[in-house]
Amino acid sequence: SIFEYNGSAVVAMVGKNCFAIASDRRLGVQLQTIATDFQRISKIHDRVFIGLSGLATDVQTLYQRLVFRHKLYQLREERDMKPETFASLVSAILYEKRFGPYLCQPVIAGLGDDDKPFICTMDSIGAKELAKDFVVSGTASESLYGACEAMYKPDMEAEELFETISQALLSSVDRDCLSGWGGHVYIVTPTEIKERILKGRMD
Amino acid sequence: MSRRYDSRTTIFSPEGRLYQVEYAMEAIGNAGSAIGILAKDGVVLVGEKKVTSKLLQTSSSMEKMYKIDDHVACAVAGIMSDANILINTARVQAQRWDRNHGFQLYMSDPSGNYGGWQAAAVGANNQAAQSILKQDYKDDATREEVVQLAIKVLSKTMDSTSLTAEKLELAELYLTPSKCVKYHVHSPDSLTKLLVKHGVTQPAAETS
Repeated sequence: SIFEYNGSAVVAMVGKNCFAIASDRRLGVQLQTIATDFQRISKIHDRVFIGLSGLATDVQTLYQRLVFRHKLYQLREERDMKPETFASLVSAILYEKRFGPYLCQPVIAGLGDDDKPFICTMDSIGAKELAKDFVVSGTASESLYGACEAMYKPDMEAEELFETISQALLSSVDRDCLSGWGGHVYIVTPTEIKERILKGRMD
Repeated sequence: MSRRYDSRTTIFSPEGRLYQVEYAMEAIGNAGSAIGILAKDGVVLVGEKKVTSKLLQTSSSMEKMYKIDDHVACAVAGIMSDANILINTARVQAQRWDRNHGFQLYMSDPSGNYGGWQAAAVGANNQAAQSILKQDYKDDATREEVVQLAIKVLSKTMDSTSLTAEKLELAELYLTPSKCVKYHVHSPDSLTKLLVKHGVTQPAAETS
């Protein structure tokens, strides 16, 4: 599958008035590792992040289009996009290419105006899947489901959420040959954004 | 006037003039004016607000000042429906370019001519404004001095007698200490303070 060509793992979790989004850092071509500092998570603005799993070229192209569309929205509306709005934008852009899709599965996480966290994922043609607790995507998604199901608790504070998402990510990528080489975690609260690089099994 | 040579924008008159273009420039001469001045540490834009009805729903956005990109802003005088299309095109095109050539000020008109300026004025009484600017512009002026000059020019060229915050909009473009380009729009309160400071807002004092 072309979705497994580069290998990836992306996960987002909801906490109490905060959220976390994390990904692995490997870029491979099938089983050969090309880079160990690949960026899959990007900041759209201070309160909305997107993680893109799947084919790396399309990840970068889609990211550029999203930044462009968000910039024009910001200039015209003189405000940032709400997470729900941004998710609909991503969905619409993906469905535009219904019969030749961007080969990505996005994970979107953000804080709304009332500091209520929002997370969602979608497939490569933009079918939204909303969740209250956590969302996963990438080649390690199956093991991520298991790890998150076991470790997640509702209403965690920022620090505990960081521990949980990091442990879930690191243990999942160890069970997947195509993702790994450490992790990249963002914890977003109404007042600050914490960014941390994780070391895992670096092989 | 001539009716034969102004039906289309591409028809020349026997004297080699394009009437439609000249009419368009004339239309802008009647619009509320906008002035831009270059300082050594930034650029200042001021605009004259024409619509000041109490009944008008005041949106947060300004009448004639628009942010084009993180590092570009523009002020317009003329027909707003046309301006909106130009602003939209400019915003899209701006996403394709890089920055880093210091502060600059440009002016363009319906004929398509454009050029870089140290101080420029468009709209009503632009010739009077231009000549005051020519007299008073100093090469090494700071942003604060330039704001003062801009307010002075506007207060002298505007048709109404007293200059108030509702009839004015002012924006500055400058570098923050962290070398980021910042576009700052003055609030009505800070405008009132500026007008008092520079002594141009003595209500009904100047009667002409």
